[in-house]
Amino acid sequence: MPLWIQILPGSDEPIYVQVTEQISKAIAKGQLASGDKLPAVRKLASELVINPNTVARAYTILEQGGLVTTKTGSGTFVSDPKLRKSDAADINMLTERMDTLITRGLNLGMREQDLTRLFEGRLAKFYKKSNKRKEEK
Amino acid sequence: MSEIVLETEGLTKYYGSSLAVDHLDLKIPRGCICGFVGRNGAGKTTAIKLMLGLLRPTAGSSRLLGCDSSELTPAIRQRIGYVTEGHRLFRWMSIAGLEKFQRAFFPEQWDDKFFADMIEYFELPKKKKIKHLSNGQRAQVSLAVALAPNPELLIMDDPTLGLDAAIRRQFLEGMIGLIMREGRTVLFSSHILGDVERVSDRIVVIDKGVLRANCSLEQFQEAVKKAILTFADSAPDEVNIDGLLHCKRMEKHLALTLVGIDDEKIIEWAKSAGAENYDIVKMNLEDQFIEFTAPANQKRLFKWEER
Amino acid sequence: MRFSTLLYKELRECLPWMLLAAIVLLTLGSFFLREQIHYRNPSWYYSRLSPGTIVESHLFTYSSILGVTGPLLLLSSIGLGLVLGIRHFWIPNFTRTWPFLLHRSVRRKTILTAKLVATTIAFVLCLGPVWIGLYWYACRSTIFPPQTLKNFIEGWIFIILGLVTYLGTALSGLSSAKWYTTKIFGLVFAAVVIFMTFPQCSLFRISAVIAASAAILLSQIFQIFGRREF
Repeated sequence: MPLWIQILPGSDEPIYVQVTEQISKAIAKGQLASGDKLPAVRKLASELVINPNTVARAYTILEQGGLVTTKTGSGTFVSDPKLRKSDAADINMLTERMDTLITRGLNLGMREQDLTRLFEGRLAKFYKKSNKRKEEK
Repeated sequence: MSEIVLETEGLTKYYGSSLAVDHLDLKIPRGCICGFVGRNGAGKTTAIKLMLGLLRPTAGSSRLLGCDSSELTPAIRQRIGYVTEGHRLFRWMSIAGLEKFQRAFFPEQWDDKFFADMIEYFELPKKKKIKHLSNGQRAQVSLAVALAPNPELLIMDDPTLGLDAAIRRQFLEGMIGLIMREGRTVLFSSHILGDVERVSDRIVVIDKGVLRANCSLEQFQEAVKKAILTFADSAPDEVNIDGLLHCKRMEKHLALTLVGIDDEKIIEWAKSAGAENYDIVKMNLEDQFIEFTAPANQKRLFKWEER
Repeated sequence: MRFSTLLYKELRECLPWMLLAAIVLLTLGSFFLREQIHYRNPSWYYSRLSPGTIVESHLFTYSSILGVTGPLLLLSSIGLGLVLGIRHFWIPNFTRTWPFLLHRSVRRKTILTAKLVATTIAFVLCLGPVWIGLYWYACRSTIFPPQTLKNFIEGWIFIILGLVTYLGTALSGLSSAKWYTTKIFGLVFAAVVIFMTFPQCSLFRISAVIAASAAILLSQIFQIFGRREF
């Protein structure tokens, strides 16, 4: 399935962050399965009309995060989820973001059950998509 | 350490008693795309013309590819592509005539196929004279004629001024295409921060002739930030925090624009000033640029009156 | 190859004006010639005079072709010089094409030389044949007395004065001073040279004056062009 990335230059997120996040999301949703090859840095840069160094930086960050691995000569591939380790810093970041979401939800007047239901509903959507992908394979 | 392809040292230019460029110090390494931004009349075109030896500096020096700008040899000029301000070309020439003219100066470097492909892509009739082309088409020809010799260093003076989004995108594509070849460097001045953000590695900000920033784009984007502080009673009158650019005071809030200061220090100051709440907000490049180059106590043009 | 490309470009810019000058010179020139010839035709006179009138012979003679067409040749030459000077050195200031032209892989001197050589070629190709044609006509015709080499050279001097005008216009165009100060020096200098050549009878003196003034103008032009800001 083709990788579709949309760059918003006027956004307050730097471009390399946008690329990183959108690829992360694609991996999480199963649009990119483990073993899939990411487009070559130059190819993606010329398609998105952004600096190749920006793409390279995004790939490096993804690699540091364990989402992809680079094999010199062959390219960059989505890594095996079983091999991805999350370290303390990742868990911290995740916790922080969850706290933000919970705060917002509570401030809006939602109750614990509503929040849980919302979370489970979104999670199901991700699993459904990735299951569908696995079936296609 | 990458080789420096463009450097200026204390480059200064006076027009009579009016200061156009004030002690510009730049070092641009090979292989990067450098976005040269500044407000209208900030001195971008003057700086570029000084670098290319079209103007003589009042003080200081400039070197391109190791050669002094006031004595650029023909051999060095052959390695430099230049897209002039306003894309002013010879109006009576046809596109084919311009191709022949330009090609004569780059006998070994000229890429016939590349030029032909570009002209075909832009759908420009080769027999048409420059004077019969629209601004956008003239810009396209100007770009084709500058890229076809595959220059080592490409300098573009506000190449997308007044052009539509599609043509601006074509220019960006051209820059990206060039930078992917070995050892190429691009310097382009622009007003459109979105374009600069897309393709630049480095950003140089010039304001009223003075160099205000010269760093990687990432450093600039991380350095300029906004902090919104909320106070229980009224906001303090004295704001003495490092790196303060602007301070906007509303009854219980302070909106601070800061540059080059860590988040932790901001939080520390906020706490010491007695802030109830603080929020460090990310800004987009255009807002960062506007606030970075705005004078202190910049008034708003229109005041919102409460009725 | 680089120089010839520049030369072709400058020459091509001269072309319309060359054609204009040639057309003006040919049409007006032949008109004047026919008028003069007609006017000085003895039979035309005789038919209008009562018999016995004594007519002075000088009415029926011409000294040289230059006497008839000289002013026109000189004016065309000066006009062409002015126009080409403006085309090469004033117009680019308005069309802002100097930056594009000057960023070439040649020395600045070469770019300037191309302009000067192109204009010289323009003068020779445009006014030269016209003058040669007129002179040949004078030699062949029975109306004019035998033409001398001196007459031939005088025509060429008129053409060269046009080139001097070109250089003066160029110098004025390159000057970055205000129009009411030293900017018009070049034009004034050229005008002075033209007036200085008129009272002279000696070809040698005229040539010396022209050569000296051209040398001065050329050296000034090269110096300014090399250092000027664009």
